[in-house]
Amino acid sequence: MKKLFTILTVLTMATTFVFAGGSKETSTPNNVEMTNYTFGGSSTVAPIANAAIAGFEIQNAGVKVTYETTGSSVGIKNLLSGTFSLAGSSRELKNDEVTSGAYKTKIALDGITVAVNKSVSISNLSMKQLANIFAGNITNWKEVGGDDMPIELVVRDETSGTYGSFTEIVIQDTLGKDATQAKKAIVAKENGEVATKIASTPGAIGYIGMGFASIVTDKSGKELSIDNELPTINNVLDKKYPISRALYVVTMNAPKEGTIEKAFIDYLLSTAGQDMVAEKQFIPVN
Amino acid sequence: MRNKSIKIRKRLESSSRVFLLLCGAISVFTVILITIFIVQQGLPTFKTVPIKEFLFSTDWSPSADIPHYGVASFVVASIEVTLLSMIFALPIALSSAIYLSEFAKGRFAKILRSGIELLAGIPSIIYGLFGIAVVVPFVRNFIGGNGYSLLSASIILAIMILPTIINFSEVSIKAVPDELKAASIAMGATTWQTIYRVTVPSALSGIVSSIILALGRAIGETTAVVLVGGNAPIFSTNPIDMGRTLTMNIITDMSYAEGVHMSALFATAMLLFIFILLLNLIVVAIMRKERLDG
Repeated sequence: MKKLFTILTVLTMATTFVFAGGSKETSTPNNVEMTNYTFGGSSTVAPIANAAIAGFEIQNAGVKVTYETTGSSVGIKNLLSGTFSLAGSSRELKNDEVTSGAYKTKIALDGITVAVNKSVSISNLSMKQLANIFAGNITNWKEVGGDDMPIELVVRDETSGTYGSFTEIVIQDTLGKDATQAKKAIVAKENGEVATKIASTPGAIGYIGMGFASIVTDKSGKELSIDNELPTINNVLDKKYPISRALYVVTMNAPKEGTIEKAFIDYLLSTAGQDMVAEKQFIPVN
Repeated sequence: MRNKSIKIRKRLESSSRVFLLLCGAISVFTVILITIFIVQQGLPTFKTVPIKEFLFSTDWSPSADIPHYGVASFVVASIEVTLLSMIFALPIALSSAIYLSEFAKGRFAKILRSGIELLAGIPSIIYGLFGIAVVVPFVRNFIGGNGYSLLSASIILAIMILPTIINFSEVSIKAVPDELKAASIAMGATTWQTIYRVTVPSALSGIVSSIILALGRAIGETTAVVLVGGNAPIFSTNPIDMGRTLTMNIITDMSYAEGVHMSALFATAMLLFIFILLLNLIVVAIMRKERLDG
């Protein structure tokens, strides 16, 4: 029974993928002209963009927007070549991109909290220590001034935005582009599972989107300060807390009034848009 | 008048037969549809990933700059937890089945039976949570490692497959004709000798079928094992190490996967599907052999 159910779930998902493309067209009355727009870029921005697109299409009948997840760099390249009219980016723009006409608008902030099991005696790590711990180079708490206890890593699934952000900001910015997170780690599928496993495993350390940090502390986990800064929204806004970054949407030149891109950005920065930002576990900018 | 009513009755009868046939066809149709979809979604993987790398590489890093999709460690982990769980479950399950079919009487047997039925009805997420709360700390404190391990997954699976083996084996042991047992006793064999020389061997094909069905259940279980297995995509044959099975891999990566990664997950499902198909074919073969022999 269980087996059959699992297979059926997969099947339902499969049919959804197959038919997802066509359903929109057929449901649209023939007399309404469809205008298609292609946005794309960062996978971290994708959940915000897709939620916003859904709301935006309801407000603007006859507008059809797709967001292709290509990664920030390809997204910006496609924007500059004209394939996309708007790109999502989870990194700062490079100088040559700005001189080519790319213009960024900040839509959200992304911060990640590092938490440990209550058996861990330390309360602060430097970025370098943190990077070496998650790269698998430091495997015992005594190497960073704690007790003699093995470090148990709790990480997210590899394709999640949180995993990607953490790898970039903590590991690759500190240890170089080729560094990755250690594979010998408990992999948790969602924030709640991360929290449970940090709370129940002695010597555990893990990371979690800042918006979900309370579920770790609720289960008696401990938030760490990084480079002596605690993960608070204010510290992220002041750029003091190091594991954070801004999320942008990028357009060719400053968005002009009356264009669909400008309307979309306004929607992202409106209360409704920023509520979606918060709902997807990012920090709103407005 | 009378003719007419007979005609109506006949038509009703034939139409209800067609209706029943259609209902039966739905399940067959569903299986075919599932197979087509999984293959259709999974096959494109091999346009970009060589089938050899997929099957024999232990490197699963779908979001690396140069992504790798090797499921060998998951295949090994799947087989390992399935066999381990069988080793744990089989002695207990077989003994229970023999006790229930040969000795258990009255109220106590009833309680025992409903307990086993209850075990079969518990949702797997509950087993998973029980695993986190009880099995994982037990393994961590008394055996070693951090507790999230293939061993913990096997223990949970062993409990989950108990009812499958017990129920099927009990039925086939009960089906052994009393004359056989009576003859054995009459020859001077003790009850115990009768059980392991006559009763169990006579019921063997049913017992083997129950074991294979249980193997299928164990290899396909997802929710419970993903919570206790550690889920690390590493290759290890040591049971106290963390590991990831085929099912765990599918459910872990499903939510964000796209492109080749998504079809690689369907290819993983294809592999799982083949395993389960093989197990079921073995059951069918055993059943058929039994029918021919019997």
